[in-house]
Amino acid sequence: MSTVESRPLIGEGISRVDGPRKVTGAAPYPMDFSVPGQAYGTLVQSTIAAGRIVRMHTDEAAHSPGVVTVLTHENALEVGTGPASVLGASPPAPLRNDRIVHHGQHIAFVVAETPEQATAAARLVRADYEAAEPLLDLQDPRAEHLHDPWGMDHSRGDAAAALESAEVTLHSTYLTADNTNNPLGLFATLAVWDGDTLTVHDTSQWPSMVRASLAMAFGIPESSVRVLVPYVGGGFGAGLRAWPHVILTAMAARMTKRPVKLVLTRPQMFTSIGHRPSGVQWLSVGIRRDGELVALDHRSLSSLSMEDNDFEPFSSGTAFAYQCPNVITRDEQAKLNIAVPTSMRAPAEAQGNFALESALDELSYTLGIDPVELRLRNHTDVDPRNGLPWSGKAILECYEIGARRFGWSDRNPEPRSMRDGNWLVGYGMASAMFPYFAQPCMAEATVNRDGSAFVRSAATDIGTGTYTVMAQLSAEELGLPLEKVRFDLGDSDMPDSMMAGGSGLTGALGNAVHDACRRLVRSFVDLVRDDADSPLMGISPHDVECSDGRIHLMGCPDRGESYVDILARHGTPQLSATGSSTPPDAKEIGLSLAGAYGAKFVEVRVDPDLGLVRVARVVSAIDGGRILNEKTARSQIIGGTVGGIGMALLEDTVTDPRTGRIANGTFADYLVAVNADVPELDVVFVGEPDRGTPTGTKGVGEVGLVGIAPAITNAVYHATGKRIRSLPITLDTLL
Amino acid sequence: MRDVASERDVDSRSTVNERVVTLDVNGRTYTLRLDTRVTLLDALRDRLGLVGTKKGCDQGACGACTVHLDGRRVLSCLTLAAQAEGREITTIEGLTGADGPHPVQRAFMEHDGFQCGFCTPGQIMSAVALMAEGRAGSDEEIREYMSGNICRCGAYPNIVAAIRAVASGGGHDAHL
Ligand code: FES
Ligand code: FES
Repeated sequence: MSTVESRPLIGEGISRVDGPRKVTGAAPYPMDFSVPGQAYGTLVQSTIAAGRIVRMHTDEAAHSPGVVTVLTHENALEVGTGPASVLGASPPAPLRNDRIVHHGQHIAFVVAETPEQATAAARLVRADYEAAEPLLDLQDPRAEHLHDPWGMDHSRGDAAAALESAEVTLHSTYLTADNTNNPLGLFATLAVWDGDTLTVHDTSQWPSMVRASLAMAFGIPESSVRVLVPYVGGGFGAGLRAWPHVILTAMAARMTKRPVKLVLTRPQMFTSIGHRPSGVQWLSVGIRRDGELVALDHRSLSSLSMEDNDFEPFSSGTAFAYQCPNVITRDEQAKLNIAVPTSMRAPAEAQGNFALESALDELSYTLGIDPVELRLRNHTDVDPRNGLPWSGKAILECYEIGARRFGWSDRNPEPRSMRDGNWLVGYGMASAMFPYFAQPCMAEATVNRDGSAFVRSAATDIGTGTYTVMAQLSAEELGLPLEKVRFDLGDSDMPDSMMAGGSGLTGALGNAVHDACRRLVRSFVDLVRDDADSPLMGISPHDVECSDGRIHLMGCPDRGESYVDILARHGTPQLSATGSSTPPDAKEIGLSLAGAYGAKFVEVRVDPDLGLVRVARVVSAIDGGRILNEKTARSQIIGGTVGGIGMALLEDTVTDPRTGRIANGTFADYLVAVNADVPELDVVFVGEPDRGTPTGTKGVGEVGLVGIAPAITNAVYHATGKRIRSLPITLDTLL
Repeated sequence: MRDVASERDVDSRSTVNERVVTLDVNGRTYTLRLDTRVTLLDALRDRLGLVGTKKGCDQGACGACTVHLDGRRVLSCLTLAAQAEGREITTIEGLTGADGPHPVQRAFMEHDGFQCGFCTPGQIMSAVALMAEGRAGSDEEIREYMSGNICRCGAYPNIVAAIRAVASGGGHDAHL
């Protein structure tokens, strides 16, 4: 069979296999499903941020036209809490009690015959509250803090002493705003009970987890729950958990004995499905005059809700980003009366990297060393936490090729030295990485009598191209043309998959697909082991490879036969095999598992009179290991870049400091990058297949975003001489 | 011509403020009894089952619900169904012709002008109208006049490339 080494680094950029459905409007998203007899749900949310409900007034709503029921904590079904996951405990169950912990908390659920009736009736639900003073300020000393909530704090050497004696030091504070994931597809849930079995269409990036949560909530076996999500209208992390509204919709369907459909409104998307938490970071750097880092002390405090978890170790990347003997990283979370934060594209690393890469840029000016050169001097080929070599880290190539494509050498190092008419021109750069992440994953591969293959796993394609790249990979493994292979996903009845998150799915699922396909080929070879009519008789499964729909002796295409012939002769309609992957153990393979790396180069234009910042050009040089499909991988990088532009220049979820209400919870008020904000983006993939896993891929969903914000603020400094340490950049700071 | 969906809808829902609305969608005529509050978007999606048109905000701020009314792009979430009476409505489902996908649909596939695909029907309806408006003369112009359509996946450069390819393509593709 083919091996990693024999494959090209960059796979063919074929167009998405789901493209025809997406451009014709035929791809069904969760909100597009309906069933006969369904009723429509609408959420009612709290208008205070802390306290308790004294009384709910639901009579008027209950008697409003078309209303089926109004659920509150007084009449809701008691449900169990779902399982903990790698992202922490399950979100709290809905409508448990009278306690209010954030503005926009679900306090009632109205079910009616039509969406208009449900919406109209929801406006009639009122609550009497006993309000308490909400804790809303991240630095409020009264807030309870969680220390090292993820056990990722790191310490080596003696950072304090090294800072004390360093030739040059920098002490800076960085602020990053709350951002809201805001996938374009409104999250929707349609719950249908049939006796004690439950079928749910749900906007999720992880159907297996939603299934487990619903099973635990209603005390039924997982096999009685089916979660379907063939298409997801984006997620960026928001679909990684079984949110209270999902449980609530299923609860309403159970109680009313009707299918119930809920579609969140855009304002509800700000309070119901997580957001990137705001944070403050304190970074101290000790460095020699020749640019060698001697100490890094990185601490963070980020916002957390009262009753939930969020994985957000801001400073963790600083522990292994560069060679440095003395490092300390410390993360804390402050419990506030805010809606739950959650992973948003490049969680933690987007913020932590902003601080670190801003500081290095600042030091490059202090020391008079080119920013790229400064990073080169602190490069490490081994993981400084464990001394193991990285499974793949081509960041040096990223610097070199990125700088060349960008024309970095044309940069005049002097701030405010480059102009184009009235525009101040600035060049900035930053390193980027997103750490390795994977979970166990399974896939099943089948070859049918007609020579077609069907491969499936309960994964999702959130726009990353999973349908396409997994079909490509399966076709390659089985030696079939792509048209003969169908990859299916988005159904929890399929073999369990990991989440579409943390840039982990392509690697983990790819390795499971690889395993399933190899096992399948092996079962074909086993089938003909003693078959005198087969040219493959007696051949070891290790000595075959596949091409043109045939299994044949390695290097000898004539000695073999087709899947079709084998199945026909043996009267077998199809053969299937299940494969799996588990994250490798670094110690066992002697390699520290590397995520993706990158170098980002940005040109900005700043209008000195208006403080306006325009991104003029971006070059992203990316080490994503082996790239399965250049077209979809490039799209991941440009998508991340657009997210990074938003983070740097536009995105800021504003909470009213008195009431805790989100003040800009619409697309008219919460600004995201639009077409006119985004220039031509140059993406280049470099490096080699990763050595840590069979398929050699690394995920590229997050690395596109990382480093864009600091590259922009570093370019703004170069253009204007003004150092920005708070995101997003606002016009006033540049005037 | 009346549609099966309309038969069901005319009698099944009883609410306070209703009226009978006749809609001409993709060349077919549908008669519906509708709550007067129903938007064109909800009528298309919930009553006619034409779910290709998407709802991203219901507030006129994202462009996902873009359809054509008499050949011009409108936000169907800001248009009441009743307002669309007597006008020619085209949705993404009506864009594909007898000879296959519209050139803009093909260009979006070729240039990977989408990721999750949720904004795509709206982007494509906007792009087709943009060319009819004569606003696809340069990348700058395309970016500006496509800025009412949010793509949270960030496919913008590829969307521009797709539109540019069709606008400058000549021959078959230039025929809109
Ligand atoms: S749904 Fe109409 S503009 Fe967003
Ligand atoms: S493709 Fe996902 S919003 Fe545009």
